[in-house]
Amino acid sequence: MTGRCLSQEEADEFAIGSLDPLAEAEIAAHLRSCQACLGLVNLSLQVAAALSFAVPSHRAPASLRRRTFLAAGVARPRMITRVLRAARSAAAVAAALIAVAALAGMIILRGQVHDLSQENTDLSVQVNEALSQKIEILALTSRLNEEERRSADLMQAARGDRDLLLALLSPESDVAEVFAVEESAYSLGRLVWDRGQKKVWFVASRLRPLSDGETYQIWASSGGKYHSLGTFNADSSGFARYEAMVPQGLESYESAVVTIERAGGSPERTGASVFVADLSRFRR
Amino acid sequence: MAWQGNPDPTGVRSISRTGDFARLPGDPLAVRQEWSDEALMTAIATRDELAFVVLYDRYAGLVYSTSLRVLADTGLAEDTAQDVFIRLWRRPQAFIAERGRFITWLVSVTRNRAVDELRARGRRQRREVPSMETGDPPQWNQLAATGDDPLAAAQVREICVRVRAALCDLPAGQKRALELAYFGGLTQQEIAARTGEPLGTIKTRIRLGMRKLRRALQDEKQED
Repeated sequence: MTGRCLSQEEADEFAIGSLDPLAEAEIAAHLRSCQACLGLVNLSLQVAAALSFAVPSHRAPASLRRRTFLAAGVARPRMITRVLRAARSAAAVAAALIAVAALAGMIILRGQVHDLSQENTDLSVQVNEALSQKIEILALTSRLNEEERRSADLMQAARGDRDLLLALLSPESDVAEVFAVEESAYSLGRLVWDRGQKKVWFVASRLRPLSDGETYQIWASSGGKYHSLGTFNADSSGFARYEAMVPQGLESYESAVVTIERAGGSPERTGASVFVADLSRFRR
Repeated sequence: MAWQGNPDPTGVRSISRTGDFARLPGDPLAVRQEWSDEALMTAIATRDELAFVVLYDRYAGLVYSTSLRVLADTGLAEDTAQDVFIRLWRRPQAFIAERGRFITWLVSVTRNRAVDELRARGRRQRREVPSMETGDPPQWNQLAATGDDPLAAAQVREICVRVRAALCDLPAGQKRALELAYFGGLTQQEIAARTGEPLGTIKTRIRLGMRKLRRALQDEKQED
């Protein structure tokens, strides 16, 4: 046998283990010196070994693992394996816990964000209400200031009326009738000169309204020279009440004239006369 | 033991995932689970204990199942499986990569060791080798390789399905003859005596059975 190479059938019989011990030993001896037959037998062994893949599969007992490693003296890797597996398990558990914690944190955070958002909305509403109230307060304040100004004007007018009344009652006051220069005009007026208070009141009604850029200006003549006592305008009903301090040094006066001048008043009398009053009969 | 790199054995035919070895630097066990069988054997030759752990976990189920199929005794099957792995650990150089795949070598070693045990215990005459179809119901969805490497497990499962399909196509007489020879450890004469068939018939059945099985497996490979 050692001199003859194997047939495929003989290689199969050897691989499947069906030869008697004597024939098996002869082939084994031949294979030690024949690489070609060894390759042939190896291929047959692959076919025979395939039978093992078709056997029912059983899981090896755990005790077999321990005793095999113990017998091989490989107990340490088992410990290492345990440690590694335990570490991996611990890492997995830790990762899961972290994930759960993160999820819970996200849920809680989301709830807090929702609450904060709600609070923010409420605050926005309150801020808007506060702004509305502030606007109302500003409007009220503005109206109050306006009323205060009106009140001040009324008080000022009241004070003026009181002073005028006092001037009319004062023995040191003179009242002059004012005449309209234009006969077509039906304006009426009086001029009160109070020497005690050194003030002059001019009251007139039915004054014609002036255009923009014009104003009434009242003058007092003294020694042929006209001294301005100031400017005034009539209201929409044509009424005007004007008071002014008597210029210092003006001790004698002959007449008073109201003219129409440009807005702001003129240093010299230039406009046409509207009213005139004779002051020569005033007591000095 | 401290070796973390990729073993480079002479004669290893294919280590297609060499580039993957550096992907898991922190876990030496996970790194080795990516290694091929031949790479693990090379590492075991350098006394890499973790490589041995990985190889055991990968094929303990297959070795134990084969032993149990031959011996029909869980205790003896455990002893045989332990002995196979101990020998693998102590004499890894017995595996020569140039001669064939590791899994073929491992199954052959396991079968021979189990048959030796069977013969040594004198159980051959007392024991009727059950057919694969009459034994425990096959659990084809259960992996023969029970390790943590899903790729290796999938490859073994694929082989199992392929062989099972090939065996189903064999005539009952041929399949029976193959099983009695391979798992029962019986010679052709012993099979003829056991079945009452002529020796020539047994020889023919074994030869035809092996031929058909080889052809079926080759056809499957060509289809792949």
